[in-house]
Amino acid sequence: MMARGVSVIVSSCGPDLTPSLMRAVGSQVGPQGEQITVFLNRGQSAQLLRDVARSGRVAVVFSEPHSHRTVQLKSNAARLREVTPDDAPALQRYLQAMQGELGLIGFTPDFASAMLAYRLEDLSAITFAPEQAFDQTPGPLAGQPLRVVP
Amino acid sequence: MNRVGLGEVRPCLEGVIPAIMATTAADGTPNVAYISQVFHVDERHVALSFQFFNKTRRNILEHPRATVLLLHPVTAQFYRLHLRYLRTETGGPVFESMKAQLAGIASHSGMASVFVLRGSDIYEVLDTERVDGQPLPGGAPRCSLLGALRRGSERLARATTLDEALEATLQTLELDMDIAHAMVLILDPATQRLYTVASRGYATSGVGSEIALGDGVIGVAAREGTPVRIMHMTSAYLYSQAVRIGLEDRGLAPVDMTEIPYPGLPEPHSQLAVPLRSGDRVLGVLFVESPQDLRFSFEDEDLLVTLAGQLAAAIDLMQETPEAGDHPADGTPAPVVAPPQGPALQVRYYPANHSVFINNAYLIKGVAGAILWKLLQVHRSEGREEFCNRELRLDPRLGLPDVADNLEARLLLLSRRLQEQCPALHIEKTGRGRFRLQLGAAVDLQTVAA
Repeated sequence: MMARGVSVIVSSCGPDLTPSLMRAVGSQVGPQGEQITVFLNRGQSAQLLRDVARSGRVAVVFSEPHSHRTVQLKSNAARLREVTPDDAPALQRYLQAMQGELGLIGFTPDFASAMLAYRLEDLSAITFAPEQAFDQTPGPLAGQPLRVVP
Repeated sequence: MNRVGLGEVRPCLEGVIPAIMATTAADGTPNVAYISQVFHVDERHVALSFQFFNKTRRNILEHPRATVLLLHPVTAQFYRLHLRYLRTETGGPVFESMKAQLAGIASHSGMASVFVLRGSDIYEVLDTERVDGQPLPGGAPRCSLLGALRRGSERLARATTLDEALEATLQTLELDMDIAHAMVLILDPATQRLYTVASRGYATSGVGSEIALGDGVIGVAAREGTPVRIMHMTSAYLYSQAVRIGLEDRGLAPVDMTEIPYPGLPEPHSQLAVPLRSGDRVLGVLFVESPQDLRFSFEDEDLLVTLAGQLAAAIDLMQETPEAGDHPADGTPAPVVAPPQGPALQVRYYPANHSVFINNAYLIKGVAGAILWKLLQVHRSEGREEFCNRELRLDPRLGLPDVADNLEARLLLLSRRLQEQCPALHIEKTGRGRFRLQLGAAVDLQTVAA
């Protein structure tokens, strides 16, 4: 589900525990899910990027809008990296996947494009290896650990 | 940070797109969760639905700061709310409004079984941030709303009787807001029930039909003194459903001759009930509904609350107008009426519940029934047709409460029931606090002991 291109929300926190948060405009998941990259507009995510750079902590939620299936991944060792033209195809695939996803719940491709608008040069990437994963599908069982990656 | 007023984000709070909330554990671990409902309490506060004991819950109890990401459902503009948790409410207006609304959201998203509102978490809004982006142009603003309110306000200001004030309100909803189904109910504080005094757009007027305080959208709005707005209707809040279940609970439902059917839509998809508030009292409810989903927005709610405020003030004003002395002065001459012809109407009165039946058909009960019985008796013994409110208030047998007796509303209810059920008997206002009873037929009065 995560690799297919679904909603991605990224969060971290400052030294005073103030939470920072933004929606990613793209994601890339390694073949085994061992390495994950999420792309953020710098202008929309200044605090979040500062917090990740400082603490390495992230919580990232992947959610499939039409089914509400949701997974949350956490890491204490996330790092920032530059975005390069090599990332463009992944971002393009992500946008198309999200246009399809949001179409299922009645939103136009234009809406998805506006929601995920970016210029490659304005993006930053966060990469991390998930240390914890939780089933976050809404309901009483939300928050159950899925597995712990050693 | 691009700060804006909280009012700007209200379109994001309609439940179309779920909000996302970030919190932090005491050890600094961030957490992200979807939340079903962000409720606009006022310009400085929002309430979030507390449904589960989860990580978010533990986090905000440990550390009260939260950040919420909102998305505008039309423009795709992002907003962030920077929040501080204050308290959790498990009853009262905000909780009840959210509970009713959540039931709608839950049923729409196919998750009714897992959505139970445990509490309303009240947060102070520290900042509202408009996030940079490339939003789409917004839809055309509903600039006609203020004009609609003005026309409604002008109509209400011109009303001189309760009847005219109700008519002005329903006309505004129909003509200026294109709301086809509406009713006004007045609360009887003695019986804790609301009775319909006016309606629009239903097969039967339902005037006289009753709803218990706390039942359905209307009853909750009256009990809590808060607007209740539902954008996707669910059976949990359908009044007809509540009635049916209530009857089933009592075993075989006894046929109650004095039950006037509730007129509401069989399958409403949107409903909005707004209390008629005056001072610290709720006088009744203004209620609208529609067969469409998402029919009433927060802007409709704003307008109805304002209109309801003016209607409530008008109702109170008409109630408190000083009345003429003991005997009605002739404002308008009584029309010359041909002597009644044809068979006499058989009027039966049951003192036990003050119900009145005419030719074996139920007409009315309660205080309004007792009033009609008194009027008919005075007419028989004194031949008098002119009456005043004051003599009714002075008659202890009618059971009118000392304060907030709703006499004008009860007289209007009586007059409308007569108009619908027995046009031969007619009540018309002849001035402030005065009215006339006209008999177009002979009446045969009979009291039936219980």
